Amino acid sequence: MAECVKVCTENFGKGAQDIEVYKKLGGYENISERLFNMSQFELIDYVQRTNLRGRGGAGFPTGMKWSFVPRGTGKPVYIVVNADEGEGGTFKDHFLMLEDPHRLIEGLIIAAWALGSRAAYIYCRGEFLPCIESLNKALNQAYAAGYLGENICGTKFSFDIFVHRGAGAYICGEETALINSLEGQKGQPRLKPPFPAVSGAWKSPTCVNNVETIMALPWIFKHDPSEYAKMGTPRAGGTKVFCISGDVKNPGVYEAPLGTPMMTMINEYAGGVVGGKLKAVLPGGSSCAPLTAEEAAVATMDYECLASMKTMFGSGAIIVINDTHNMVDLLNVLGNFYSHESCGQCTPCREGTGLLHRMLNQIVAGNGHDGDVELMQSLAGGFGGVTICPLSISLGGPVGAYSAKFRADFDEYIAKNPDHAKPRVQETARPGIFW
Amino acid sequence: MSNYYNMPKLPTESSPKVEIFVDDKAVMVPGDTNLLEALKAVGIETPHVCYHPYLPVSGNCRQCLVEQEGPRGRMLVIACYTPVAPGMKIYTPASSARVKNARKATQEFMLVNHPLDCPICDKAGECTLQENYMECGQNEGRLRPEYGKNYHGNPAHQFVDSKGQVRGGKHVDIGPRILLDEERCVQCDRCVRFMRSVAGDEQLQLAGRADHTYITTFPGEKLDHEYDLCVTDVCPTGAMTAKYFRFQKRVWLLSHTPTISMDDSLGANIWIDHADGKIYRVMPRCNPEVNRSWLSNTSRMAFQNFNKNRLPAIGGISVMKDAIASASGKIALVAGGECTIEDLAALRMLKETLGDRAEIFAGTLKVKSEPDGIAKSGDPMANRAGFKLLGLPDDNLYDLAQHVSDYSVVVCVNNDIIGEGNKSMDAIEKIPTRIVLSAFNDETASKATLAFGIKHWSEVQGTMVNSLNILQKLNAAPTAPDAELKPAYEVLSELAGKPFTCAYDAFKKAAEYAPALAGLAYDTIKSTGLHLEGGNA
Repeated sequence: MAECVKVCTENFGKGAQDIEVYKKLGGYENISERLFNMSQFELIDYVQRTNLRGRGGAGFPTGMKWSFVPRGTGKPVYIVVNADEGEGGTFKDHFLMLEDPHRLIEGLIIAAWALGSRAAYIYCRGEFLPCIESLNKALNQAYAAGYLGENICGTKFSFDIFVHRGAGAYICGEETALINSLEGQKGQPRLKPPFPAVSGAWKSPTCVNNVETIMALPWIFKHDPSEYAKMGTPRAGGTKVFCISGDVKNPGVYEAPLGTPMMTMINEYAGGVVGGKLKAVLPGGSSCAPLTAEEAAVATMDYECLASMKTMFGSGAIIVINDTHNMVDLLNVLGNFYSHESCGQCTPCREGTGLLHRMLNQIVAGNGHDGDVELMQSLAGGFGGVTICPLSISLGGPVGAYSAKFRADFDEYIAKNPDHAKPRVQETARPGIFW
Repeated sequence: MSNYYNMPKLPTESSPKVEIFVDDKAVMVPGDTNLLEALKAVGIETPHVCYHPYLPVSGNCRQCLVEQEGPRGRMLVIACYTPVAPGMKIYTPASSARVKNARKATQEFMLVNHPLDCPICDKAGECTLQENYMECGQNEGRLRPEYGKNYHGNPAHQFVDSKGQVRGGKHVDIGPRILLDEERCVQCDRCVRFMRSVAGDEQLQLAGRADHTYITTFPGEKLDHEYDLCVTDVCPTGAMTAKYFRFQKRVWLLSHTPTISMDDSLGANIWIDHADGKIYRVMPRCNPEVNRSWLSNTSRMAFQNFNKNRLPAIGGISVMKDAIASASGKIALVAGGECTIEDLAALRMLKETLGDRAEIFAGTLKVKSEPDGIAKSGDPMANRAGFKLLGLPDDNLYDLAQHVSDYSVVVCVNNDIIGEGNKSMDAIEKIPTRIVLSAFNDETASKATLAFGIKHWSEVQGTMVNSLNILQKLNAAPTAPDAELKPAYEVLSELAGKPFTCAYDAFKKAAEYAPALAGLAYDTIKSTGLHLEGGNA
């Protein structure tokens, strides 16, 4: 395993939750004359040169996102940290905030200076109670040390951070749903445009960034942008915190440069597949299409390669599946999850996710029929690109991909029904009473 | 959810026209609106469920999908939330199989958890889901009973039917006037948006998420608002039904008469839905300038009394004529706000026939309130602007009360002056000859020396001018209880000795008194009314 520069996880296990320890490790050095002498424009340009892309899942270039925030509208600019980490298989933000909360605060001060923001909200998933405790403790220490509040470090710049505890809805990880939830409304995605950069929280310009994106900023600011950019691929710089879970020897959080081969991640970082041979890998969390063992052998962990394989990099959550599992069981779990987490706004997602889950249940229960898979594929095809947010595709995509790549698993389940070749009961046509 | 401030922009006659390409054909459409309205303006109907022109856009039904050519190729977009831009390229099902399939898929999803109990549903026949199914569904059912349904419903109202299927609440009493069928709801949230942004009283909300979303009120609260029956109009399915209309009549058996509600000076545009001479319901008729799509409960429910306590046409006009002719003192002609322009023309003609002896009084004693900004101006005298237009007084009833001794005859038309509870009007009883022309056997009629039944405003043809100075047309619904009844203008013109044979005669007479009406015919007044020049209201 090649030793790599640790950007976000360098303080792991060193007790950096305490401000004194964090400062000894080089923390808060960025909050200096150098930062406050930079203009907003220079700082955004600085970040753009690092090729930093958002770490939440969509991979939008961070510097570009910041440049969209309008200046001089007379409205406050809000920074919202998306710490509502709900995607299946993703647990990096949890550890990042738990182990190194001060780095998030330091990153937020840099981001606030870049955006001219006065306040930031950390929207933290409700279940992350230890994280919230750790964050609040760190915030208190940072306020006491003068890094937050009025006139930071004797400058005229004032900045506040608030921790908001979510109520545990998956959909609140979508930025507009998150803003709705932050405002106190039901967590449902908004119609776009207007995009949050123009009209977000309380109709003000709002920049929503992932925890990991913000936490990369202190390192980036301490070093040269090109140093960050040269780690990783030409179009996406830096390192990424990967969450490896599933049938591996050492599941956990690992930081590696973008573009690391997937098998290196699995075999060297996570200690290899256990319990059987490699069957499939989900490269970017539960909502992405799986890769077969052959595809995984050639895949590298970056945005472009995985997009070319018709899956996605997502949040960098690698879920490893060995050949003792039937993919239909997995899909059924996904169906349960997404049909429960649909916000209930758009018709295809609201009704369709539940329907697909019930159909999967029928197959798993041994009541599958020939033609069920085709029907599911057809129904899942009705999801594509027709809803406000991508949650429907998070189930529709996997249904299509699982059934295309692992058709034998479906057939195996359907064959358990002795009557699988008979057509399903069709309700007899009613006599023409009314017509 | 917080898109609630995005009210759709509707095209007007002055909208700038821009060129867009629909199915590769160039068309000129209004440029300042959304795609759905723009396509409608050129005759292309887009099926939709959640979109309503007078409610904020929610964009959740995903039924109005069209394809738009963009930088990243053709994308499916919702027509209701896409603004028209010059030169945009749009593809409808006429040319795009993808749009057709997407709409069909949405339609299929819409019906996944819908009970399809159309044969017992009051909305059947005017249901948006049925229309959309005919428009873009028409697919053979692919879903089988084993997949089960997950009916929407409050867990407290759910029950298990004889087939073991969990069902939602079928008749949830959510308010004094409305019953909710939770299963039929398709979560378009029109009713929620109506209560929030039009009624301004957020009493409804969607609770839960995914396919266990259901409409509900706040715990322990009821849906109770002056405009709450409008949610039954905006509801695209039979989820919200009005108690008074449940199981009364299949809607396709109803005939519709477009007319004007004469209990308020805004003159809300209505449909009178009737069958076999009986009114079954009154529905708002869309008029963008007047009441949009809304109607207050008071105006809507008033029809229940239209056929009660009616005054018969007994007594004869000649008796009235004799009574007036033999009058020794002055004659007071009292008109009420429900009189149409035609009635007023006849009344003024009668006054001119009688000469200086006659004096016209008008007004109402009902309490005036503030405009509610929805479908009521608060002024109970409906045709007040019409009185002014014909040069008649519109608020001088107290003059009559103070000088009753001067008068020996009072002819009271459509004005229940005694019954309105104002003591000062009891003096009217001192006038020896009291002739009352009224639709109802109200208190004034019962204290009359001669009471003669006339047609109610819902049964006459005519015109009125509302508080916005718009001339609006009333049409006669064939619901009069008695064929002998005549409209007020006929009776009054007979009293004047120059009987009108039809309403249009009276209208032409009115044009003599009011130049603003000159040259107009009923045909030239649009169904949404006609703006009169020179505001006098």
